[in-house]
Amino acid sequence: MPLLLEIETLGFSYENAAMPVFSELNLRVDEGEFVLIKGASGTGKSTLLRLICRLQSYGNGRILFRGSPVESVPPAELRRSITYVAQIPSMIDASVKENLLFPFSFTSNRSREEPSEKQLAEMLEQFYLQDISLLHQARNLSVGQQQRIALMRALLLDPEILLLDEPTSALDAKSASMVFAIIEHLNATQGKTIMMVTHSSFLPKTVLPVSYMLENRKLQKV
Amino acid sequence: MNQVVEISLWQLLLGLIFILIAQAASFVYHLGLNRDITVGTIRTFAQLFLMGYALTLIFQLDNLWFTLGVFAVMAVSASFIIRGRVKEKQVSYVLPTFLTMFISYFITAIFVSGLIVGVEPWWEPRYFLPIGGMVIGNSMSALAIALERLFREMRQEKGLIETRLCLGANYKEASSEMFKNAVTAGMIPSINAMMGVGLVFIPGMMAGQILAGADPLQAIRYQIVIMLMLVGSTATTSIITMLIVRKRCFGKGEELLLSTSSQ
Repeated sequence: MPLLLEIETLGFSYENAAMPVFSELNLRVDEGEFVLIKGASGTGKSTLLRLICRLQSYGNGRILFRGSPVESVPPAELRRSITYVAQIPSMIDASVKENLLFPFSFTSNRSREEPSEKQLAEMLEQFYLQDISLLHQARNLSVGQQQRIALMRALLLDPEILLLDEPTSALDAKSASMVFAIIEHLNATQGKTIMMVTHSSFLPKTVLPVSYMLENRKLQKV
Repeated sequence: MNQVVEISLWQLLLGLIFILIAQAASFVYHLGLNRDITVGTIRTFAQLFLMGYALTLIFQLDNLWFTLGVFAVMAVSASFIIRGRVKEKQVSYVLPTFLTMFISYFITAIFVSGLIVGVEPWWEPRYFLPIGGMVIGNSMSALAIALERLFREMRQEKGLIETRLCLGANYKEASSEMFKNAVTAGMIPSINAMMGVGLVFIPGMMAGQILAGADPLQAIRYQIVIMLMLVGSTATTSIITMLIVRKRCFGKGEELLLSTSSQ
């Protein structure tokens, strides 16, 4: 499989912090891989994902996407290719449909075709949200349902890499298992490259992940 | 029109009776304001007498550069007052605020003094400085409100801004509502003032002119020009400053630099 993402000797520190979060961190992600990064809270798992899509800027080292430094790709284009889904989903104060479609109004997405209502309804079903109407107020949904809407919204833009930041940490067991099932399905059937960080003991059932442990400021394969 | 009725020093001191009433009220009801009222009274006398002498000197000197220097000092002071109110540490905004204020107010003051009022020369200090002072004073409050709102909303909505960035938005698209809300919040007092003027209150400048013996019909013309000028200058200054400051809230990778935890 072709190399999609490469991190070389990455270093990062927070301002005024005594110790760096990472030093000399390396990682290679091939197309279609399911990368699972585990580690205790506060070890910098979320920070690593945020650095990859430039939601934060890093100090030393390099992050290459398809062989080019991420700094050389226009930010909006980079984030559309490497899409980060946050731990806590953010919804605009509008319907489910508007929440799913607002990214298509952005300049960088205007060339993309908006999905039809029928396609959105089918997708809701695939995400175990068949009971939810497209006209439902998104902010009135449970966090678990909002997290699935957030995943759908990211996938509608067809990113090359999906960065998932503890997507089930705020969910109950039932919602969490639904979200995990969707994520596995995306990788297994659509070949979507996924990088997920979690501190839970999640282990995919249908795909074989490449697992790492983030500790002592470095990634170690497990 | 009647001549101005002059206030002698003794008559001025008679005004202190109002302060004595306030002091007595503070004493009787244990408001703890006696010291502040005393300091405020002394400062009012000292600052205004100083200003009176300074303006007399400036009017006598009648010098372009001196007049512009005083105008610059007024704009710098306004920037520092805004900095004191907004208290933002992560994003530097004082210099762009000052430059925008200085350029925008300068153009407005020249336009009003030289073109609408038609003073010769346009920088005639008797007209240029009070007009400039009114623009700076009023827009200063609008800018402080707008900046405070911008920073507060950008922090509160950090999650939503980052979500939009992650879905392909540029920094302008990601923060469009926060920008709009900030500019609107700054503009509302000026617009409200236009709604209430003449009905709810007589503005300070017009009241001053009438007390000084001017024809009320002339005084209202000045006041109308001033109100229009204030709305226009507040709008342009707020929009330009918010555009520059909003850009500064984002880094080179269009990442939001404001953290939610610290101020």
